[in-house]
Amino acid sequence: MKKRLTLLAQTSFSALCAVSIASGAMAGELNILTWEGYADPSVIEPFTAATGCEVSATYVGSNDDFAPKLAAGGGVFDIVTPSIDSTYALIEAGFVQPIDVSRVPAFKDIYEQFRTADGILKDGKVYGVPYAWGAIPFMYRKDKFDTPPTSIKALWDPALEGRISLWDDKSALYVAARLNGNMNIYELSDAELAAAVDKLVEQRPLVRKYWATAGELVDLYKSDEVWISNTWGGYQSGLLAAENIEVVEFIPEEGAEGWMDSNMIVADTPNEECAYQFLNMAISAQGQEGVFKVNGYSSTNPVAAKEFMSDSEFSALHQDDPAYLDSLLLWENLGDRLPVYTNAWNSVKSQ
Amino acid sequence: MSKIIEIENLTKTFGKVVGVDDISLSVEQGEFVTLLGPSGCGKSTLLRMIGGFEEPTSGRILLDGQDVTHVPPSKRAVNMVFQDYALFPHLSVGKNVGYGLRVAGMPRREVREKALEALALVGLEDRFDAAPHMLSGGQRQRVALARAIVRRPKVLLLDEPLSALDANLREQMQVELKALHTKMGLTFILVTHDQTEALTMSDRIVVMRGGKIVQMGSPVDLYERPATSYVAGFIGSTNQFRSVVATGPTGPQVQCFGQPISAPAGVAPGQEALFGFRPEKALVQFGEEGGGPDTLRGSVADILYHGQSVRLMIDLGAGEVLVDLPMSGSDGMPQVGDAVSLRVGADKIMVLADEVAA
Amino acid sequence: MNGALRLKRALVLSPPLLWTFLFMFVPYAILLVYSFWQQKYPTFVPAFQFGNYVQIFTDPQYFRVILRTLKIAFFVSLGAALVAYPYAYFLVFRVRKPGLRLMLYMAVVAPLWVSYLLRAYTWKTILGTTGILNSFLMSTGILSEPSSVFLYNQTAMIVTLIYVFIPFMVMPIYAVLEKIPHSLKEASADLGVGRVRTFLSVTLPLSIPGIVAGFTMTFCLTFGDFIAPFLVGGPDGQMIANVIASQFGASLNWPLGAALALVMLMIVLSIITVSDKFERLGQGRFA
Ligand SMILES: Nc1ncnc2c1ncn2[C@@H]1O[C@H](COP(=O)(O)OP(=O)(O)O)[C@@H](O)[C@H]1O
Ligand SMILES: [Mg+2]
Repeated sequence: MKKRLTLLAQTSFSALCAVSIASGAMAGELNILTWEGYADPSVIEPFTAATGCEVSATYVGSNDDFAPKLAAGGGVFDIVTPSIDSTYALIEAGFVQPIDVSRVPAFKDIYEQFRTADGILKDGKVYGVPYAWGAIPFMYRKDKFDTPPTSIKALWDPALEGRISLWDDKSALYVAARLNGNMNIYELSDAELAAAVDKLVEQRPLVRKYWATAGELVDLYKSDEVWISNTWGGYQSGLLAAENIEVVEFIPEEGAEGWMDSNMIVADTPNEECAYQFLNMAISAQGQEGVFKVNGYSSTNPVAAKEFMSDSEFSALHQDDPAYLDSLLLWENLGDRLPVYTNAWNSVKSQ
Repeated sequence: MSKIIEIENLTKTFGKVVGVDDISLSVEQGEFVTLLGPSGCGKSTLLRMIGGFEEPTSGRILLDGQDVTHVPPSKRAVNMVFQDYALFPHLSVGKNVGYGLRVAGMPRREVREKALEALALVGLEDRFDAAPHMLSGGQRQRVALARAIVRRPKVLLLDEPLSALDANLREQMQVELKALHTKMGLTFILVTHDQTEALTMSDRIVVMRGGKIVQMGSPVDLYERPATSYVAGFIGSTNQFRSVVATGPTGPQVQCFGQPISAPAGVAPGQEALFGFRPEKALVQFGEEGGGPDTLRGSVADILYHGQSVRLMIDLGAGEVLVDLPMSGSDGMPQVGDAVSLRVGADKIMVLADEVAA
Repeated sequence: MNGALRLKRALVLSPPLLWTFLFMFVPYAILLVYSFWQQKYPTFVPAFQFGNYVQIFTDPQYFRVILRTLKIAFFVSLGAALVAYPYAYFLVFRVRKPGLRLMLYMAVVAPLWVSYLLRAYTWKTILGTTGILNSFLMSTGILSEPSSVFLYNQTAMIVTLIYVFIPFMVMPIYAVLEKIPHSLKEASADLGVGRVRTFLSVTLPLSIPGIVAGFTMTFCLTFGDFIAPFLVGGPDGQMIANVIASQFGASLNWPLGAALALVMLMIVLSIITVSDKFERLGQGRFA
């Protein structure tokens, strides 16, 4: 009995919190907590050769992983790459330190919308160097639609029952809110949030599965389970194209969210010198080309992008289109509304 | 008397091992038969075939005139007391005893009455509600017995029922089993490797060896007239010696470890045979002078005190024999080295058949 | 006891005690402390208040998910018992060759050495729209087009979890069946009872402790599972462990997560206590 209890206790406890074990980083060694593709060998190897900074990367599955990993303490990481909705909380929690932009010469070349975004500024200090951006458009299997969908309503279409997927994230609430006509998706009132929940509950019987990882969504399309969903613009469609599955991305009438990822320096890193080297490399042509080639994401530094993108690529990725950028509802920090949104999303899934 | 069980040429093999080898045997109604033999001789296999737990390889079993060779145990009017008692651990004593009746659909009340009746026969009616694991070994044995007799089987089979009990309890249970048999008039077939048990309880003993019957008969028969050296050795103790019958001054003589004594009836001079006598049949006299006809002379080599008697090992020079000396009151204990003479009359000497290789 | 001996004994005992303390009590103590803390943007702050517990008992979503989790755990345990019992029975009473029996036993137990994820993933490839089951049903003409009812719903989770946890059901049932003396069945037959009734009146009652043990284990393992919902569950697949994980992750509300975890622990402990009582009923029987 005691033995069984121990086992159970351990199982449930490890399910509850992942404790990362601290290990001191050596000087000249960078530990990065980032997204898959953001530390690709094609970029990291030349970087290490040029600077002598060894890089080891840990990948997150979602933006929700950054704060808990840093909150668990230990100071393992030197650099993190959260999206713009998660940056400000890290600043306020004191997990990251201000950046001396004079040590990042190309910072001025970054799109103004990004380099002056609220999420990376506090008290006049800069905390993040924008690295990549994109939209959360929608995507459908070209062969399954006679008339291409143009609205989010398609995801509520009973005719598509069992073929619909949505990202298993609070982003689902943003989608439902827009369908309800609430464009203030990052400042929804309790009533608006409740309406979004109702919409999602209504949609749930039509949903095949809420996708949790990029790979999972690709699998769902590949195995013919899903025909329409939201997506990380450019990424999954690229992976599916490689599998010869033709999908089309579209920005619905109700608009799409936009995201932007920034590199941030973890507070009190002992590897500041390497960290700045990395920040500079990331927005150089070399770094920007890496994320473009590997993930298919747009560049935050158009000057650098010009160096490696063809003209058609440049416009395909909306690098020359400030209006497009403006049309996106760029993710915002939800502040103290975050748990309310999370619980609202959980409550949809509890139905 | 009628035959309740007739076994005809019954054989059971387990792969290459022959468990029971072409046995024929019949048992009378009300008889107490014991299958006796050392471990592995096939007693349990024979018993289990009667119970229906083993399918015979060949041969027939008739129960009360009916061929039951291939009838499953649940349909045979015989019951078994298992060596490990096989009480159902999740049922109370009363439920154990009433189990078969209850499943057969007998009303609860009647089942209870019958179970109490059977438990009363073994003196355990007051433990009706006890759980088996709360009982002593002897009590469990009785419950198993009560359970086996509650249905009044035509034959009661008992596989080494007493072997798990300690010596005192075992003797007591022997008496009780015998009394129960007498009281109920049931046919008992009991398996044991313990000759005392067999002698105490049985009407008839069947001695087995290597899957075959070596000899059967009443306890007295077997004790007084064992047919072979094996039986003589297995039931009681026997001093055995081989000798050629010679003609002596007073008639035919045999040599017992080099000393001549009168030969028993039934052998002729010139014949060689195996002879034996029981330790308690020799007349023991101490001192140098004892003698006379049919007397063996020797000295005490060892003494085993048994309470009511003393067993002495007597060195005859060319060999040793065992004799029993009753302890009747004031006789002093013999000492090792004491000279002794043993009188063994011709009527005390048994002629043992040569063992057929088994 | 003299001082030196006492010290020696303390030294011998201290490592296991320390181990137990460190790995059993400290984590729970930490959870307990956290559960009284309060979420405060951007993270959470120390406090002593019951708000998290109040939230759990007033917001119906937690009750719903706990109920759903209990239901799934029940069906997984029931299904596992229904599959495992005949299998264990077959192994113990029907397979005569010890070598074959061991092999068949290991065939069920050995997958425990294979990663849980891999085993669960297997079911995805079996149950999917383009999976093995659909291909089979279509090739045999039972279905004309692939059905989506096999994957991404609670049934798929239950099937997958039954498969994943079945060793925990087979092992205790096998053990308890193996311990039942053969003579009991013979005694039952001897008393005129047929095979079916013997099974119902003897074998089954005596195997209850094994069933209870297996049931408890699969139940508790399922209750704490958070991977099956992710792999094969549908939009209605969220279980309590997923909610807890999202509190520790997405909403950075460790206090609420800790309170939920403790509620979950209480449920598991009461299940174990009840089942322990059950098992104890069957103890001392073979003595
Ligand atoms: N189920 C069995 N399988 C194989 N051999 C058996 C089996 N039962 C008995 N035997 C063999 O048959 C012989 C007789 O066994 P048994 O009847 O149990 O002897 P006993 O009861 O006289 O000790 C032994 O050699 C034993 O090993
Ligand atoms: Mg035997």
